Amino acid sequence: MTAQSLSAKTGSVKPRVRGLKAFLTHQTFRRITQIFFLAFIAFFAIQHFIVGEDSGVVTASAEAFCPFGGLETIYKFISTGGSYVAHTHLSNVVVLIAVLVTALFTRSAFCGWVCPLGFLQDLMSNLSKVLQKRIPGLRHAIATLKHRGARLAVLDRYLRYIKYLVLTWTIGGAAYFGVMVFRDYDPWSALLNLGEFSFTPGLIVLGITLVGAFFVERPWCRYACPLGAATGLISKLSPVYLKREESACKICKVCTNACPMGIDVHTATTIKSVDCISCLECVGACPRNGALEVKFGWPVIGK
Amino acid sequence: MRINPIIFGVLVIAIFMGTILGFQAAGIWSVSGKVTSGGEAVQPSTADLNSIKGWMTLDQIATTYNVPLADLLTQFELPADTPATTAIKDLETDLFSVTNLRTWLQARQDGSSAAPVESSPVSEDATATPEPVTVQPAVDENALPTPTVHVAPDRTITGKTTFQELLDWGVSKEAIQTAMGGDLPPASAVIKDYVTGKGLEFSPIKTALQTEVNQVK
Repeated sequence: MTAQSLSAKTGSVKPRVRGLKAFLTHQTFRRITQIFFLAFIAFFAIQHFIVGEDSGVVTASAEAFCPFGGLETIYKFISTGGSYVAHTHLSNVVVLIAVLVTALFTRSAFCGWVCPLGFLQDLMSNLSKVLQKRIPGLRHAIATLKHRGARLAVLDRYLRYIKYLVLTWTIGGAAYFGVMVFRDYDPWSALLNLGEFSFTPGLIVLGITLVGAFFVERPWCRYACPLGAATGLISKLSPVYLKREESACKICKVCTNACPMGIDVHTATTIKSVDCISCLECVGACPRNGALEVKFGWPVIGK
Repeated sequence: MRINPIIFGVLVIAIFMGTILGFQAAGIWSVSGKVTSGGEAVQPSTADLNSIKGWMTLDQIATTYNVPLADLLTQFELPADTPATTAIKDLETDLFSVTNLRTWLQARQDGSSAAPVESSPVSEDATATPEPVTVQPAVDENALPTPTVHVAPDRTITGKTTFQELLDWGVSKEAIQTAMGGDLPPASAVIKDYVTGKGLEFSPIKTALQTEVNQVK
């Protein structure tokens, strides 16, 4: 047995599982955590909107838990020894630190497992897939659109650099002007303040993001998210990476098609892209045993 | 070393929540934006009017002490469009101060809806230990003035005023530069944030700029 049978097992087609076992997967666990954190934030947003203004009870704003705020206030927090730009609190800094620590160990897993804005984009993309399955006309229309826009795909790799400009603007602008320059354009802030009828350019960005997610998965995360840019850079130091075993892989591209960030998983041997959000959709989608796995290695160099 | 994907998910949540809970356990957590010098979170408290500090915003006061913001603005003749996020220390006038605010709120809590407060000096330090609250005697509501017309002074520099607003009010760039003691800051910058960001005291610069604004009037 053993070495030979194990070797035979590696690369074999995964057996189809049914029932509870098919449900108890890491994808289900990921969705549950995403739902939990979205519900958590929604609770505070609704509580602050309904109770906060008319009661003696002090309620926390949902923005107090946003790591974006931590990014914007971090310069002032450090340079002044503990003060913040308006609308930010110590909680923003703590959540930002938690996100960066998580990125240090598990890459940008915060984006894939926790971030409610990422989850909302996932929901829109899933809705798009469901509708395309049920409405052939829509499926054909989107397929035609993607076919005609295929020549623009070359722009994708360049557009991904926009998020680093946004990151620079977010931190640098807040440091220079002393205010949250990003807040008015922040789609997440716009969503949280929707109940207060606070209409900002961020609401337009949010609309574009959610509509865009109907055609391209996670457009905000791919091209514009400053937090994703920061965690992506830190993830370079992470000991965690994805390993594609070439001997077991049949290059069926299922992994690449499953990746919400549009990474070419099937062409790499170790996937350590700064855009990887560690959602493990590729691992779950891979039809072969041992072809694609999460690995723990040495920091920086991996392996 | 291979990691089971579900174990990986548990690891993600454990690290993320563990870091936050660790900070909370150490007392390094506040959603109010303020901590004591010892790192302890400071939260507004309904029970104690003495917990009112100059850094608190109108919004926090209105929420914590269950007083409509409009009533507060009207009572102290503050501009009706004053942002709720303005710190009360930035709004001090002859009529409005931390002490007067405490007195008024105490009167409301004691059953008098709007006991008028006497003018007092505005020199109270926002972080100083407050004086004992002097409660105004309850008065007949019918005898109170009903301040329905806003008569607050316009063009008052607050913690949210930008340099662009100063320019719009007619203050020259040179006057701003003189008051700031340097180059003209970005017009879109909030004066208070800019000044504090430079590590300077806001109050003297605010006074100097307000003098310039008053001269333009």
